[in-house]
Amino acid sequence: MGNNEIAIEAKNVCINYRIMKNVTVQHNLFKKHTQEDVFEAVRDVSFTVEKGGILGIIGKNGSGKSTLLRAIAGVFSPNSGSIDLKGHTVSLMALGVGFKDNLTGRDNISLSGMLLGFSEKQIQEKMQEIIDFAEIGEFIDRPVRTYSSGMHSKLAFAITAMLETDIMLVDEVLSVGDERFKKKSLNKMKELINDKSRTVIIVSHSIDTLKELCDRVMWLHDGEMKEIGEPKEVLEHYVDFMNQ
Amino acid sequence: MELLLNCAMLLVPPIFALFLHNYFCHGKMSSAKKFVYFIVDGGVTDILMYVLLWVRNIRGNGILRITVSHKLELMLIGCVFAFFVALCSALIVEEDVTVDKLSMYLKRFANDLKKYFKYAIRSAKSDLRSEVANAYLDWLWWLIEPFCMMLIYTLIFGVVFNASEEYFPIFIFSGLAMWSFFSRGLNVSVNIVRNNKSIISRVYLPKFILYFARMLVNGFKMLVSFGIVVVMMLIYRVPLSFKVLYIIPIMIVFFLFTFGLGSILMHFGVYVNDLSYIIGIVLSMLMYFTGTFYSVGKRIPEPFGELLEQFNPVAYFIASMRNALLYCKGPQLDLLLTWGMASVVLAAIGVYTVYRNENAYVKVI
Repeated sequence: MGNNEIAIEAKNVCINYRIMKNVTVQHNLFKKHTQEDVFEAVRDVSFTVEKGGILGIIGKNGSGKSTLLRAIAGVFSPNSGSIDLKGHTVSLMALGVGFKDNLTGRDNISLSGMLLGFSEKQIQEKMQEIIDFAEIGEFIDRPVRTYSSGMHSKLAFAITAMLETDIMLVDEVLSVGDERFKKKSLNKMKELINDKSRTVIIVSHSIDTLKELCDRVMWLHDGEMKEIGEPKEVLEHYVDFMNQ
Repeated sequence: MELLLNCAMLLVPPIFALFLHNYFCHGKMSSAKKFVYFIVDGGVTDILMYVLLWVRNIRGNGILRITVSHKLELMLIGCVFAFFVALCSALIVEEDVTVDKLSMYLKRFANDLKKYFKYAIRSAKSDLRSEVANAYLDWLWWLIEPFCMMLIYTLIFGVVFNASEEYFPIFIFSGLAMWSFFSRGLNVSVNIVRNNKSIISRVYLPKFILYFARMLVNGFKMLVSFGIVVVMMLIYRVPLSFKVLYIIPIMIVFFLFTFGLGSILMHFGVYVNDLSYIIGIVLSMLMYFTGTFYSVGKRIPEPFGELLEQFNPVAYFIASMRNALLYCKGPQLDLLLTWGMASVVLAAIGVYTVYRNENAYVKVI
């Protein structure tokens, strides 16, 4: 990484969840408001990622990895602290797909693309590529609710893989679909990740993948950053810790 | 009764002002502070109302002698004043509320609307297409469905209940078109955040855009209905005057009103699970007080009929639309202006509420 241009800068990020909520009318009318429990999912995390850098995030379940990733994607903003993407476009690739069930695959590609900040023209240009990559045949013109779960994730993967954003956030999806598609998507993924102009953050439980792909790794534990640095060191410490 | 109304006229706007002031500073007011601002904000609001009357040449005790409908109108204007008074006083005294923040919200709203407008249109188009994709009669359903409803209502209310008006089928059809726009909008708004969970948990979009897109869908259906209205008007040879043009401002205000109310409901719908039942009940009650299939002003005894027609907003919009379209009568302009301002205030509160809380929506659902 010759250039030191920074693509993601997170400063003292804290993200809270309020537990309770989701009340009924009866609850609202007849009961006094209970003190809300606040659960701190991410506490005071600061880090930077250089342009073209690949950061891995590791940690046990419920340590705030996905929450942090969603905050970077802009799904919600941190309760305190700041995340600065320096004007780069960002997309989040996660299991569970963001589709409207009653619309066709084609419509969903357009809508997802527009939400990722692409113009309709750009999407039209990429449309065929996406459809070819997803390999779901004539289903592309049928409502998404008729898809199998494999088709779902194939299409979702194809959209995020083909509509290339400056920053890519990957949440546990390094492979989807059947064996053949798995191989294809993994290759595509590596190609995207290794593109020197693209900044990537990967959340994963797989130590081998992180070791192979990342040039830095962050270890989150109960919402706090325990360590950040060379993949080998951090992952070793993590493994030691988990084996205790 | 008279006394009660007078009290309400003078007290409702100040209470509303206090409520808004409290709301703008995130509900962190102490009781003593509340009392002070009730006097200050409320006082200013009442003074403004008084000045307005003075300008209109109603002075001294005249305020007690104006008609009931004027009193209600004054109360409504008072509430609009209350919004601006509360906003100004919050800007001056509260540290949390600054001009910068206000202009930030305004800019953000303008930017978001510009940026996501295309998305809203595209999404509305796709929704419309998917709605008819599986039905044999395709888009004809948009014509057939309201047309059949109109036939049913014309039969029941025209023949059985003998509630006929001039051009009765058109009367019902146009009212029904607007009513379904309103009720569909509100019904959807309550659950809209939940129903779009898969999208909003993956990418940011201003949540009011979801509702806006839905309104475009309903608006298109309303437009189709009005297409039939035009055809029916040709068949019945309804005389037209230039007053038909009043429909444009009426519809704009109606759209704004539905948007404002819906975005407020959208917020509460996220937190309150069973709100949709309440909305259902309130809407069906409201439907009968709105005069979708009879004329509220003529059928309900004086003075309530006229009052209902002016101060039940939906009834007002529908009645003015019918007057302009079918009976060559323009709306009461001062009332339309008042409702217009009230709708803007409602929309402002709604958008502000959604902006302030949308961050938490994803975490709750």
